[in-house]
Amino acid sequence: MFNALTGLSQKTGNFPGVTVDKKSGFININNQPIEVVDLPGTYSLNPEAEDEKVAANTIKNINDDELIIVVADVTNLKRNLFLCTQIIDLGKPVVLVLNMMDLLQKSNQNIDIEKLSSLLQIPLVPVNARIKKGVNELKDIVANYQFKQASFSSDKLTPSERYEKITTIISACLQGGEANRWIDRTKKIDNILTHKIYGYLIFLSILFVIFQAIFSWSAYPMELIEEGFALLGGLVESWMPEGVLSDLIVNGILAGLSGIVVFVPQIALLFAFITILEDTGYMSRVSFLMDRLLRPFGLNGKSIIPLISSIACAVPAIMSTRSINNLKERLITIMVSPLISCSARIPVYTLLIALVIPAEEQVGIFNLQGIVMMGLYLIGFLAALFAALIFKWILKTTGKTNFIMEMPIYRLPRWSNVGFSVYNKVKVFLFEAGKIIIAISIVLWALSSYGPGDTFEKIEEKYTSSAYENENEDEINNLIASEKLEASYAAYLGKTIEPLIQPIGFDWKIGISLVTSFAAREVFVGTMATLYSVGDEDNTTSIREKMLQAKNPETGDRLYNKATTFSLLIFYAFAMQCMATLAVVYRETKSYKWPIIQVVYMGVLAYVSSWIVYTIFS
Amino acid sequence: MTLDELKENDSAQIVQILDEQLEESLLNMGFIVGEDVTLDRIAPLKDPILITSGLNYISIRKDDAKKILIKKLIKTEFINNK
Repeated sequence: MFNALTGLSQKTGNFPGVTVDKKSGFININNQPIEVVDLPGTYSLNPEAEDEKVAANTIKNINDDELIIVVADVTNLKRNLFLCTQIIDLGKPVVLVLNMMDLLQKSNQNIDIEKLSSLLQIPLVPVNARIKKGVNELKDIVANYQFKQASFSSDKLTPSERYEKITTIISACLQGGEANRWIDRTKKIDNILTHKIYGYLIFLSILFVIFQAIFSWSAYPMELIEEGFALLGGLVESWMPEGVLSDLIVNGILAGLSGIVVFVPQIALLFAFITILEDTGYMSRVSFLMDRLLRPFGLNGKSIIPLISSIACAVPAIMSTRSINNLKERLITIMVSPLISCSARIPVYTLLIALVIPAEEQVGIFNLQGIVMMGLYLIGFLAALFAALIFKWILKTTGKTNFIMEMPIYRLPRWSNVGFSVYNKVKVFLFEAGKIIIAISIVLWALSSYGPGDTFEKIEEKYTSSAYENENEDEINNLIASEKLEASYAAYLGKTIEPLIQPIGFDWKIGISLVTSFAAREVFVGTMATLYSVGDEDNTTSIREKMLQAKNPETGDRLYNKATTFSLLIFYAFAMQCMATLAVVYRETKSYKWPIIQVVYMGVLAYVSSWIVYTIFS
Repeated sequence: MTLDELKENDSAQIVQILDEQLEESLLNMGFIVGEDVTLDRIAPLKDPILITSGLNYISIRKDDAKKILIKKLIKTEFINNK
């Protein structure tokens, strides 16, 4: 509704908790800008959940020049009018929007808008936000609105009396009786989707399809993007005069950027799937199926929505925990959500898995890379449950807990909504993350292209001396490049922390990446790309091939063998390397305590697990 | 009897809700004392349950369902003896 009115594209879903904060936008009516604020959905003016409180408090404290637009689902008028009449009785100016008129017509019902409007004494607009019908009419009413004090009831009604009065009004205005058609159809679908056996099977199959799709469907566009960047790098090198600037663009910026753009297809697919699950109403059923399973871990069925959203990104996931009433359950959900593998780990996982597992390898009809990827997600999920158990044991119990949750009727996904969501998430990923990544790429390029004092000149002198006269020129250039990198500032930084990370199988190059990816995990790939292209004269090979060729300087074996690679995978699965998540945890818990605890416990978990994995495989 | 004792697809009338906070939550979801309620589905692990009243369709845990007193409706269906 908000999107239709403002032309903005905020995410919506078919269950409570999608809009959990106020969002605002502007519309122009008769050249006058009017601010529209979208509030989280609420069932009541005296709510328990955090997101509903935001809405209730705003409604109670609005200014004189503001007006409230109540958007009611016309297929369940009774309950929606319960809240609406309460707002009218507060003496606030209200316009009622009747949404989903199309569903009403489909079930052969009709509503007498004028009659309902006069009975409630407020303006009424029938719309269908899906096809933007009635939006202009709403704009007209808002522009010409004049507040007339309305009152639904002068005396204080008991809730049952209020419902009774509403029932009388509805039966006077609604022809065709109450529609059971939609709810009947929904229950029939629920017979299958929440079935004892099929219910879980369907849920697992859906997850499995998502993972397979992310891996196999996106392979082709990813290859195209990789090749495109390699081509672009080659073009820049041939067009621009050789020098510092060309080096910076090719080995600094382009290398860092390609490492990120290449993952857009996967992230787009993931967000498309999540939005479809939310939009159809299926997510609420998953909560219903999971409530009993999650309870022993101190979580709530509603926790499954943040936990599944964390597959995409922990930031919106942690915000969506506001719909969990119980403080302890909410806090546990916040603390463990970042352990679920998010989309920022996809680039890291993809790159590292490809190093040790050949793309062609199949197990039955399934791609082995896809299975390992799914395994990592599973490990993250199990770790989250384990951490939840520990938090449940440590934290004090607060207040009552319940699982009263509306089961929305099933709907087809709104494809425009899916499109908007994918577009927005990819945009944020590219531009927000991209900014950090480019900045870090440039700094890294500088750090790895220059060294302290005259070390670089000495290396060049060494190789121009007569001892190397007979050697192949390309080989000498490669030797110079790699020696320079080892003598660079970046190497100093990496080597400083090397003793700390050696027990878990990491070298100084990985060390640098760990430092830079504290800002965001996906920076790892960009950092690796930058570090490895600085040592590379011709930029024809992709980062994966460069890492495959990397050798351990002491043993001469492959550096990214199974032990190091698996250790690194586990480290990225568990470690808290995301500034954005920490910021949102701070905002949601309003204290430094929880984000700090999160960094420490996840860091310890990551280090210990990586050490175990490295020891087993080496 | 209480709501948790119903079988799947059984209907009853809500008589009383023994917890004030619960009563308010249910009220906001459209569940009112005096109205009919149907138990639609028991979750695979026996808890929670899905219930409807009119067009309102929600899930609730058995612990809370125990606090909802109900009166079972007499089935008026014609039973066909074969």
